[in-house]
Amino acid sequence: MRLGRKYGALVAAVILAATMLSCNNDNCKGNSNGIPLAAFFDDDKQVSITNLTVYGIGAPNDSAIIRKTAASQVYLPLRITVPTCSYVFDYNDDGMLNDTITLNYDVIPYFESVECGSMYNFIITSWEYTQNAIDSVAIPNPLITNSDVVTIKIYMQ
Amino acid sequence: MRRKIFIIGVACLMVVLASMTVNAQDQQRKVTPVKPKTNKVLTPPKGTDEKIIQQYLTGDTAQARAQERKDSLAKIYPHYPKLTEFSLGLGFGDALMMAFGQKYASFDLSATLNMWNRFQSVLVVGLGRAKNMPDDMNFTYVGKLSPFFKIGANYNFLYKNEPQYQLYAGVRLGYSTFKYDVDDVSVSNPYWGELETYYLRGLSSNALWGEFLAGLKVGLFSNFSLGWEVKFHGIFKEKKSDSGKPWFIPGYGTRNGNWAFGISLYYTIPLSRDRWPVKEDKKRGNKKTTNNPPVVPPVK
Repeated sequence: MRLGRKYGALVAAVILAATMLSCNNDNCKGNSNGIPLAAFFDDDKQVSITNLTVYGIGAPNDSAIIRKTAASQVYLPLRITVPTCSYVFDYNDDGMLNDTITLNYDVIPYFESVECGSMYNFIITSWEYTQNAIDSVAIPNPLITNSDVVTIKIYMQ
Repeated sequence: MRRKIFIIGVACLMVVLASMTVNAQDQQRKVTPVKPKTNKVLTPPKGTDEKIIQQYLTGDTAQARAQERKDSLAKIYPHYPKLTEFSLGLGFGDALMMAFGQKYASFDLSATLNMWNRFQSVLVVGLGRAKNMPDDMNFTYVGKLSPFFKIGANYNFLYKNEPQYQLYAGVRLGYSTFKYDVDDVSVSNPYWGELETYYLRGLSSNALWGEFLAGLKVGLFSNFSLGWEVKFHGIFKEKKSDSGKPWFIPGYGTRNGNWAFGISLYYTIPLSRDRWPVKEDKKRGNKKTTNNPPVVPPVK
């Protein structure tokens, strides 16, 4: 009887541990790769750009990231095989020329977690841009991770 | 002349009788020296030890009552010696959990010194390893076999009971230095149509962590006992790396949650066994033996 009670406690403990183990599988709360999120600002207020098309120079099949869409922010996926990347911002407005932003960066292999996996992070080393509709581009934190936060601030004229 | 002799004899007889009367009065005073109110018979309570009863019977009631109080305190508050026992433990909880699909394991050996059956100092050394290839993920995590150490203390809430049954709370401070690899990583970039593969090998880190725990220890057989522990832990400090944080820390587990669980098998060596409090039933057993000595055949 006494021995049976002990084994009962052992079984209960194992079940409890298995339950705790199964409760630990949190899902990934970020992106599956390091990716910069660019947002448009007028002074310090985030604004939406209407009828905007954004695409990367050299992207296969001339595919666009967004096409003729109103957007206040847009993800700019970075290339992982080369340390530079350029994007065209087409405002689809006859009276306004396109803008181009070029980002130069270091590619860093990074193990995030079991849930999110291993990925690339990036450190932006320099950037250039045209100033047709853009006033300036600011990158307060050059480290680009999988966090879903604005990392590139594009100030419009 | 005869008359004189008779008078002297009568006088001597009176002196003798007078002296006897005085002695008798003295003896009578010794029999009742106390006030009537306090002159009552003290009877020992039921179950009193034979030795104390003898003290009562011999009239040494003060000594008997003092001894009785001491014994009754000992029953309520059994006093174990400073060095009560020493235990060696083998932690095998993770080995058990691997049967449920756990991808990592820490095995440890612990040494516990139980003092007064209440405070316990604990030293733990062990090894940990991990290998994880999660489904639908892009990597293989390999935690190399690495050592860890823990020091800490327990407080046994069942200090009045026998040491083989313990319910305790404790704290630990743990440290590990370890190496790990993240292999076979494949990263795709659908927009740019890129696919890259890389390996993160020879990564090293170290970590310092703390644990609060609650445990239960139950005697099995002989000097063996089994213990269960539930731990709440957190990392105080760890070596940072540009390549990310390790998933598995030997002795700590994974960084997914703050809760962990452990099972250990203990072998206990009693210390100062002769100074341990004697159990009541054992005491009674001894008493019975004293009252009924074995019959020895007469020597011819």
